[in-house]
Amino acid sequence: MNLLGSSSFQRLQGGLDAANARNVVITNNIANVDTPHFKRSEVAFESILKMEMSGMKTSLTGKRTDPRHFVIGPSSKLPSSTLQMDQSSAMNNNGNNVDIDREMSLLAENQLRYNSYVQAVNDQIRLMRAAVEGR
Amino acid sequence: MNFTGSFNISASALTAQRFRMDVISSNIANAETTRAKVENGVSVPYRRKTVVMEPMKQSFDAMLQAKMNGSNQPVQGVKISQIREDQAPLKPVYNPEHPDANAEGYVFMPNVDITKEMVDLISASRSYEANVTALNATKAMVMKALEIGR
Repeated sequence: MNLLGSSSFQRLQGGLDAANARNVVITNNIANVDTPHFKRSEVAFESILKMEMSGMKTSLTGKRTDPRHFVIGPSSKLPSSTLQMDQSSAMNNNGNNVDIDREMSLLAENQLRYNSYVQAVNDQIRLMRAAVEGR
Repeated sequence: MNFTGSFNISASALTAQRFRMDVISSNIANAETTRAKVENGVSVPYRRKTVVMEPMKQSFDAMLQAKMNGSNQPVQGVKISQIREDQAPLKPVYNPEHPDANAEGYVFMPNVDITKEMVDLISASRSYEANVTALNATKAMVMKALEIGR
C-alpha cells in the first residue's frame, strides 16, 4: 500500500524543498545588498512544474518497459528546482543588482508559499489518518 | 532540510552591517582628531575609514558537500574583507591657536564628512533591519515545518 507516495504529495515535497532553497537564495541576496559587483540569484520551480504539468502535454507518449528507458512525452518524474544567476540587470552603480524592495517582497511571498505547502501536506496526512483510523 | 544555511547567511550579514556601523561610529567620533597616529615621528590627523564587503568564499569542503548532496547552491553569506583609509585630501582650517597648527597657522583636520557618515549609518541600519526580517522569516518557516504531521 502506498499511503503518502502519490504524485501530488511528491509535488508538494518538491515545492517545500524549492521554497527552502529559495529562502536560502533570497537570504543571500539580502545579505549581499551592499556588496559591490554582487549579482542576485533566483530559484525557479513552480514555473517548471507548471510547464511540465500543462504546457507540454502532448498526445504522444512513449511506453516504457524498463525504468532506464528515455521518457517520451510528459514525465511523471518530479522536476527539481533550478538556480539562475541574474547577470543582465544593474540596480546600483557599483555593479550590484539587488533590489531590496523586490527581495523583501519575494521573501514574504516565499514564506506564504511555504506555509501553504505545509498546510496542503498536513491536509493530505490528515486524510490518510482518517482513512487509516476509520473515523 | 538545511535551515542552518539561511541562518548563517543572515548572521554573517548582521555581523558585517554591525561592523560597518562600528567603523562609521569611529569616523564620527574622530571627526576632530588631529593626532590619530604617529608616522615618522610626526602625529598625523585621522583619516576616514571605509569597509570593503565581499561575498563569502566557499571552502572546498562545503562545495564538495553541496555537490554530493545534489544541491547546486552552496551556502554563501557576506564578510568584510578589509578596512580602507579614504585617501581624500585632509581639510586645512585656519586656526593659529591650535597646538597642531603649522607655521602658516593652518591645522589639517580629518577628511570626515559628518553628512556622509550619517547617510552611511542610515544605510547600514536599514540593511541590518532587512537582514533581521529575513532571519525572522526563516525562523517562522522552521517553526511551520515542525507542524507538519501534527
